[in-house]
Amino acid sequence: MNTLLFCRVMGCLTLSMLAALTVYADELDALDLQSAAPAEAPPGAGKLYLEAALGQASPSGQTGTRQVGRLSLDYAITTSLNNGLRATFSNRLDYFDPEPSGTDTIVNSLRELYLSWQNPAATRVLEAGRINLRYGPAYGYNPTDFFRDGSVRALTTFDPLALRENRLGTFMLRGQTLWDGGSLSLALAPKLADQSSNSGWSVDAGATNNRHRALAVLGTQWSPSVNSQTLLYWQDGNSTALGVNVTALVSDATTAHLEITHSSEPTLLTRTQGATTPTVARNRLAGGLTYTTARKLSLTAEYHYNGFAPDSAEWTALNLTDRGNFLVGRLPLQELASRQAYMLYLSQKDLLRQPLELTAMLRLNAQDHSRMSWLELRYRGSRFDLAAQLLHYSGDSGSEYGLVPDSRVVQILGHWFY
Amino acid sequence: MSDKFALRRVIVVGILFAGLSWLAPAAESLSAQKILTSSEAIRIPARSFSATLTLTEFRDGKQVDANTLTSYAMAQTDGRFSSLVRFVQPARDAGKLILKNGNDMWFYDPASKASVRLSPQQRLMGQASNGDVATVNLSKDYRASLAGEEEVVDGERRKRRAYKLSLEAAVADVTYPRIDMWVDADTSQPLKARFYAESARLLKTAYYRRFQPQLGANRPTETVIIDGLYPQSVTLMRFSDYVARDIPPSWMQRDFLPRFQPD
Repeated sequence: MNTLLFCRVMGCLTLSMLAALTVYADELDALDLQSAAPAEAPPGAGKLYLEAALGQASPSGQTGTRQVGRLSLDYAITTSLNNGLRATFSNRLDYFDPEPSGTDTIVNSLRELYLSWQNPAATRVLEAGRINLRYGPAYGYNPTDFFRDGSVRALTTFDPLALRENRLGTFMLRGQTLWDGGSLSLALAPKLADQSSNSGWSVDAGATNNRHRALAVLGTQWSPSVNSQTLLYWQDGNSTALGVNVTALVSDATTAHLEITHSSEPTLLTRTQGATTPTVARNRLAGGLTYTTARKLSLTAEYHYNGFAPDSAEWTALNLTDRGNFLVGRLPLQELASRQAYMLYLSQKDLLRQPLELTAMLRLNAQDHSRMSWLELRYRGSRFDLAAQLLHYSGDSGSEYGLVPDSRVVQILGHWFY
Repeated sequence: MSDKFALRRVIVVGILFAGLSWLAPAAESLSAQKILTSSEAIRIPARSFSATLTLTEFRDGKQVDANTLTSYAMAQTDGRFSSLVRFVQPARDAGKLILKNGNDMWFYDPASKASVRLSPQQRLMGQASNGDVATVNLSKDYRASLAGEEEVVDGERRKRRAYKLSLEAAVADVTYPRIDMWVDADTSQPLKARFYAESARLLKTAYYRRFQPQLGANRPTETVIIDGLYPQSVTLMRFSDYVARDIPPSWMQRDFLPRFQPD
């Protein structure tokens, strides 16, 4: 018996030593590898890419499918002029087939065009022009992103992170001052047009500058683990809104984020009907946690609350047509359609130890329990990406996601970088 | 000599030995910390600088990815560094930023204008952690003790006599709770390190090599990073174009990320 035990122990030890030797042999093999030469970006080069998408959409409640396609050209550049002055230009051109309802086949989005000046110590910044000014650390819903409404001209993705890549900036004059542990900025955005334009080639100042607006932001670094932004937002016709967003490091693998705003304004239902009164004082909130494993898997869970969205009783009181109009009307506002919602966002980089990235998202309406599921598998090459996407809506016929015209969209995307 | 005197002498000698035995580990620890400090003074410059960083990723001996970054490291008064790392290539990632002030880490994407807080465990490239691509002075965040003296194979496959240091995290939420580090016994050059998880699992091994004169010292300009679980996964991290320079403190703020432009 003792001999048997001894043999087992020795066997295990031998195997362990062999395994260790294999590891160390592999380690020494690694020392033969050579680094690639450093690549240099051409000075003053912008970022240009072409994106092509082809897919099939399945209309809700019908058999059969229809083809959907898109071709997009995206370019952004920042050029140094002199004396701390820089110019930024960012533009996107989308061609849709078939033509989406409410817009042209070709939609041009002039996202940014502005001049920026910094002093040599980089403690003062002055900017003027169309600037994409974005706040809020949450993934799926950003109450403190006060310049979000009207900013998306062409909806090309459902990934909330990618959605922000294709939005219009707001024409504004902006100043910022920074000091050790904090910053203060002020943005003034004048009214330039009455309403948004449906013309595909329009600069569309009316989408982002259809009223006078101002935003002051105080950034504070409370500790290495906690950072906040306090925002005061004013727009013509409404009282001042107050917002706070906070991010914190919870552990070596977990971060937390929270956004809260309080404002007095018309309800979302009133806004989608084009009215500006009556106003009510309510809150918006988005909060969540992101956990990352050592193997590059990140999982974000978020809770969303919009005090201005219809509650269950108000939603039930709407007929199907009103619900449809409400859902279409709130899209450009980038507002949460239900009083409460949940979101799960998962990202796995280097899937199967390959240059593959898996991204999945689930949005759940907490009131009617309808769901939006989105899945993307992306291959990352050095100069091109290839992605397969699946978008699926489910829920009762009168629910938020059950009312979406296409219940499922499958598409392949190619992304070429120059 | 009376019994009284003998007893007193025994007590004094006993106290002396007790004191020495208490001081000895502290002295050894102090010496290990000095070895680590000397080694870190070789690994990273003592002042603010910028450098080009090339990350080449291999799997099963084949190159699968390469990134070129520019690292801006700002020396703080306590010897720690704040780092801003900018992606240069590939074209897809050009302009993205990683900011690291101790545990305060951010990722900024100019396309989405989003500043996302990162946890120390989050990695954006290959086997290199965000802490690796940023400049981190280990002697400030870890307590070193001498674990022995060994002969080790260095990154150039030469045998070197080295001190083995055991590093325990002295501050909260560092990327690696424990590190074993081998430092050349004669030159204090960092040779090799093993990085462990809380569970004592080996996360990765690093070899420091290609020592070259850079900013006043013979420094390692390449680190070979080998995955602890899958040793066929290797990332080479190569530093070049070191330039000593003053870096505005505001570059190291989250609120400045959307305004950062390289000069």
